[in-house]
Amino acid sequence: MSSVKKPETYDAIIIGSGMTGGWAAKELTEKGLKVLVLEAGRPIEPDRDYVEHLPVTEMKFRGMNDRQETLKDQPIQRTCYACDEWASKFFVKDTEHPYTTDPEKPFAWIRGRQVGGKSIMWARQSYRWSDLDFEANAREGIGVDWPIRYADIEPWYNYVEDFAGITGQAEGLPQLPDSHFLPPMEMNCAEIAVKERMARQFGRDRVMTIGRAAILTQTHNGRAACHYCGPCHRGCITRSYFSSVNATLPIAEKTGRMTLRPHSVVHSLIFDSQTRRVTGVKVIDGQTHKAMEFQGRIIFLCASALESTRILLNSATPEFSTGLANSSGELGKNLMDHIMGGGADGIIPGFLDRVQTGKRPNGIYVPRFRNVSGQEKNFVRGYAYQGQAEREGWERGIHESGFGASFKNSLRKPGPWKMTFHGFGECLPNPANFVEIDKERVDAWGVPVLKIHCEWRDNEKALLHDMMIQAAEMLTTAGAVEIRPYKQNNPPGLTIHEMGTARMGADPKKSVLNPHNQAHDVKNLFMTDGACMASSSCVNPSLTYMALTARACDFAVSQMKKGEL
Amino acid sequence: MVRREALRLMGAASVFSVLSSDLFTATLQAQLAANKSGALRTLSPAQNEIVLAMSDVMIPVTGTPGAKAAKVNEFVDLILTDWATEEERKIFIEGLAEADRKSEADRKSNALFGHGYSAAAPNEQAAIVQIFDEELATSRNEKLPEQVRSWEVTLLHPFFAQMRRLVLVGYYTSPVGQEQELKVEIIPGELHGCVPAEPEVKQ
Repeated sequence: MSSVKKPETYDAIIIGSGMTGGWAAKELTEKGLKVLVLEAGRPIEPDRDYVEHLPVTEMKFRGMNDRQETLKDQPIQRTCYACDEWASKFFVKDTEHPYTTDPEKPFAWIRGRQVGGKSIMWARQSYRWSDLDFEANAREGIGVDWPIRYADIEPWYNYVEDFAGITGQAEGLPQLPDSHFLPPMEMNCAEIAVKERMARQFGRDRVMTIGRAAILTQTHNGRAACHYCGPCHRGCITRSYFSSVNATLPIAEKTGRMTLRPHSVVHSLIFDSQTRRVTGVKVIDGQTHKAMEFQGRIIFLCASALESTRILLNSATPEFSTGLANSSGELGKNLMDHIMGGGADGIIPGFLDRVQTGKRPNGIYVPRFRNVSGQEKNFVRGYAYQGQAEREGWERGIHESGFGASFKNSLRKPGPWKMTFHGFGECLPNPANFVEIDKERVDAWGVPVLKIHCEWRDNEKALLHDMMIQAAEMLTTAGAVEIRPYKQNNPPGLTIHEMGTARMGADPKKSVLNPHNQAHDVKNLFMTDGACMASSSCVNPSLTYMALTARACDFAVSQMKKGEL
Repeated sequence: MVRREALRLMGAASVFSVLSSDLFTATLQAQLAANKSGALRTLSPAQNEIVLAMSDVMIPVTGTPGAKAAKVNEFVDLILTDWATEEERKIFIEGLAEADRKSEADRKSNALFGHGYSAAAPNEQAAIVQIFDEELATSRNEKLPEQVRSWEVTLLHPFFAQMRRLVLVGYYTSPVGQEQELKVEIIPGELHGCVPAEPEVKQ
């Protein structure tokens, strides 16, 4: 007879160690809780694992990626721009992490399973939502109304920004509130010209500003300023961009109250129907495949929108037969991702005697201008552009003619300034875009996988088309030549802003989470990743997830102190 | 900015540990590469000679070494062996044979005697590359309307398009290309959006 070991008990269990899990770990440990962070993937040690300074000369395929290997192991992950020859190790092997879709309705589920999650490879763009976003569902009768407004989240934006460090330029735009900014990065010659020419034509209607990014332009909270090496998605040994590994987890670690357990694949949550609380987590050890359990007073799901949703769907009980905390029936529904890839590029003549020095890991941004005041005929909501101007390097020679000494000498100099506007559009919540458990398949750890049903609908398609047209128009205004409008056919998921599958709302019958990211049905269960989103805005979402997480942690601890949790 | 100054600016001791761990990885990979170097796995000796000659016509010695010194041929062999598809490989190998045929035809018309591209005189080799380049430019223009933007790098293109990509990538990502030709700075240290280009140093 083996003795039964009592499972370890923590004040809080956080599932996931990425963008939101790191914040939950920092906030809850700083507030005195004894916290267990469960991470499905391996540990990350910056000294060993970050590869941002590894020169291309040392890469086997010189930046052309290990095509045969990734076609075999990462056929989906490799479609993400950041899954390159250096950073592909930060993306999962699709062979170990299967999921299914409807035929002809592809969904690109891009995942990072390691301490830090996708916060290691994220694009760092950081924008606040406004009431234009929070009020949109109510105004248009789409989905459910957000149970919070800008005033509710504003102090938490301030709070997370002051810690993370967000570079940007204040613009005073109502649709894109300014953050607490560190100094902005400089625009380059062509961008300055485009900005000025746009301002002459569009005034305040279409503003071009420098990108707002979670990158330090000066020393901040003990982290060093950016050294402009460029490829942040490969790591950053000076911790100059925000990730949980670079910023939040070290703070949690310092409190001495965090236990971080990598290789911990969460199978499901344990629900006690008597107390109507979750009591713990069923885990499969990632390396030994042994099953184990951990107990906690509260549980924070921060595993990324779809992983957190999958855990709840896999935690069905007789009472919650369609998934834990799903009395509303909304769990898994309303999957959104931003539609990206309508845009244009063109050459900005001139400035050939001037250059940009340093690799700026950030671009420019044109905040949403559609449906800000007034209403377009063909679509609701809007889109924003990211973009940049750059002088192409030797790579342009691949598509040019010429050879020999003069050709070689010409490629040493940079090419003309090329300006690109690349649109990111809002996606509407739609219950027909949903995920469920595929009962036929399990992953490498025996956990049932998701079946994802998702496709772009008419409003997103209309936005994509308009992005292309308006990008070309703005380039024309800016004096560009050789303008090439484009419209990509990206599957949903590839923007990696998947969200919405456990939406927040005031009504427990129509939403999974209450205004504090707390499950309506299970009071000691919180979900603060992208799953909570009731609509998608068109801005990059991570900053909002950070703010909502810090806010939910504050609420949870205050409830515990009052004895309500 | 010199690398050391950039590191000083960062003021982080850990920088040195990652650089040394990078160095460690680099050393390992260099060793692995060294074990393989010289042993061509797809190109025959004769085909290798064509690649060597043609790449050096495309990226010759100037004030800096050319494609041959950068061992572009070894990169081409690696890509053909471990990266390309069967179909892409076939196009490339057939293209090398075409270089020989073009070369022999050229020589016949000039009433000279010869055996293929690698044995041709430099000006003749350049003339063949010129023909390939013009053919490619024509086919590019024909295909322009159907060009689709794609992130996917593929070699499913005419031979000389493959050759252009492999020679340029092979050269500019080699130590010669990065350090001598482009003088790439891994850690610039500072960002300046719009500054005068440094006057070009005569090579």
